[in-house]
Amino acid sequence: MGQINAIGIIDDDPITVFGIRKMLHSIDVCDDIRTFENGKEAIDHIKQLLENDQPIPEVIFLDINMPIMDGWQFLEEFITLPLKTKIRINIVTSSIDQYDRQQWEFFRKRTDHLIDFRNKPLRKSEIAAITKAA
Amino acid sequence: MLNNPFTLVGNFDVVLQGSQTSINNYLIKQLPKSTVFINDKYQVVHASDSWIREFDLDSQVIGKCIHKLHKNLSTEWNETMEACLNGINQEKKLEQFIDQQGDEAWFEYTMIPWYDEKENVIGIVLQLDNVTEKLARELRHEKLKILLKEKSNIAKIGSWEYNVEQDKLHWCEMTRKIHEVDDDYEPNLNDGILFYKEGYSRNTISMAVFKAIENNEEWSEKLQLITAKGREIWVIAAGKPLFQNGKYSGLIGTFQDITDHVISEVKTRESENLLRTVIDSLPLNVYIKDTESRKILVNTSECEYLGVEDPNELLGKTDFDLYDKEVAQTSRDEDLEVMNLQKPILARETISTRKDGTVTTFLTSKIPLYDDDSEPNGLLGISLDISNLKQKEEELRDLINVTSLQNKKLINFAHIVSHNLRSHTANFSMLLDFLVKEEDEEEKANIIKMLTQASDGLLETLENLNEVVAISTNTNLEKKPVNLFKKIEAVEQNLAAFLQTHEADIINEVPKDTSIRVIPAYIESILMNFITNSVKYRHPDRTPIIRLSISEKPTTTILSIEDNGVGIDLKKYGDKLFGMYKTFHNNADARGIGLYITKNQIEAMNGKVMVCSEVDKGTTFNIYFNGAN
Repeated sequence: MGQINAIGIIDDDPITVFGIRKMLHSIDVCDDIRTFENGKEAIDHIKQLLENDQPIPEVIFLDINMPIMDGWQFLEEFITLPLKTKIRINIVTSSIDQYDRQQWEFFRKRTDHLIDFRNKPLRKSEIAAITKAA
Repeated sequence: MLNNPFTLVGNFDVVLQGSQTSINNYLIKQLPKSTVFINDKYQVVHASDSWIREFDLDSQVIGKCIHKLHKNLSTEWNETMEACLNGINQEKKLEQFIDQQGDEAWFEYTMIPWYDEKENVIGIVLQLDNVTEKLARELRHEKLKILLKEKSNIAKIGSWEYNVEQDKLHWCEMTRKIHEVDDDYEPNLNDGILFYKEGYSRNTISMAVFKAIENNEEWSEKLQLITAKGREIWVIAAGKPLFQNGKYSGLIGTFQDITDHVISEVKTRESENLLRTVIDSLPLNVYIKDTESRKILVNTSECEYLGVEDPNELLGKTDFDLYDKEVAQTSRDEDLEVMNLQKPILARETISTRKDGTVTTFLTSKIPLYDDDSEPNGLLGISLDISNLKQKEEELRDLINVTSLQNKKLINFAHIVSHNLRSHTANFSMLLDFLVKEEDEEEKANIIKMLTQASDGLLETLENLNEVVAISTNTNLEKKPVNLFKKIEAVEQNLAAFLQTHEADIINEVPKDTSIRVIPAYIESILMNFITNSVKYRHPDRTPIIRLSISEKPTTTILSIEDNGVGIDLKKYGDKLFGMYKTFHNNADARGIGLYITKNQIEAMNGKVMVCSEVDKGTTFNIYFNGAN
């Protein structure tokens, strides 16, 4: 059975979501996988959990380019939340813009949470390594 | 006394030959020349009153010894007296006497033997002439002669004199030197004239001499001579006629060798001309100002720049007479800085505004000038008109700005392309990876379905990118005047069904005759996009109202499209609003391409777009159409 309480996937691309889900299933690490179409849905959900004193997903897969609230805007709010546990956030993007790498460096230094940066496509071989509690 | 020499000889015969009567005494007493008769015992026998007066003697001199009356006389005097008593006639001699006041006096004296009827020497007849003044005058004359010679040597001034009666021309030593002739050379008047260079010089001197003789006119001319050695020299020849008793008697004049002076003058004039030619030919404005910043020299460029033909129109003027007040004050401050600190300003960029408003940019240098005492007495200004250069520089800067902007857009576009293509290819890669390892047939079908979706997505993305590239590269699409009102009506017609479905209301406030220069295809697409956006992002509580209006600026027409929709939080999304594949609403058909393309189309027509919006109230897009091509 899974060693991780819950995993969040924040991506507006259904194919990516399908792929990550499929890979997670194959390594059988967690049963509770939640999907969000953009940062806003995700941050609202996490705030709700925090309010009800429920556990936050330990691992989050985060896309950057999304409507309404993009990945960076999500992180901006997320790192201000009074979380008790350290969360692992895997940024998964097809962007090779240097700007996005700078943003990653910037957020990494500002938070205790573990933030990783991966380019699409994610490989099955690397999914296990990045799906661990921080 | 001296001016009127008195011959006593005849009288003496009478006197000496006659008996020593009181008549004779009386006669001697009255002689105008100091005369003394001395016997062989050196005692005064007769004496003239003039002698007593001359030597300030006691009137009772008769019978007194001459040695008592004239003390401290020279040996020569005594010897002469002795010789005279021996019957030898003596020549005129000179003796110095010291009078009671101690003043010196010089006397010329003659002593002749005094004979009786039998031709026996019975004494001496002594006559004295006071020559002190004459001697002094001779001395002065001698001194003057030396001085004159010195002067003529130093100033190279020679003199000459022509005596008409003897037809003799006398040249002094210096004049001979000037003519480079031997010391014994003796010219006549014609020879003198022939020394002048043929042509102007000789003609002038001939005329001058003629006029001097005829009209009693003096002359002084700068002329050329050819010396005896063939050297060409410059002289100032001056002269005047001499008249004796109203009759022309000759000419007198001077020569001054001024060759060195003329040569240096010519050289000075040559270098002055050269300097003037150089500064007038320079493509620079050159001027010299005095301590009050008044112009005291300007060159041709400066005159041309200030629009005057004659430099004299500028001389004495200050910058306050020529430029507007502010510019003049700045310039004056610079001048003072240069003169007070005695430090030149080099290649400073200055802007001058002439009275007529023309603005010129100069590269100005100001260099302090000094007088003989090393005190600053003005400045030299050199200005290079760099207005053209400046304009080019500005154009270049504009070009760089445009280029860097385009470059930025290009990089941005490259990122968009790479990102969008990558996201699809990443999906392909991942799905294919799954498909290879999948054994479950149902899941395989699912994966293939998704591959098809990814493929469609890629195609659509390529189409979108193509459209953007077309806008950016299709720069040869021509702008044409388009009636904006009619264009809006046409778009409205095209969207009639869509608008009706959503009960949208379009208020076209654009004046019917408004014409703008645009690419017709783009304006249609732009209008379509903004209007459909306004309807798509309508407020759920009200039916959409879209108001189109214009405001005109000199070269720009601004079209405002105002709606009452949901609005956009510009703080959050402002920088992404016109980005590619950026969507802000959970709207099913939001593709994130419309505004990106619209913006590109507007920019392709040299326009720009601005937005203002308030959440829940509505959004206004202002589109700036540039009137020019």
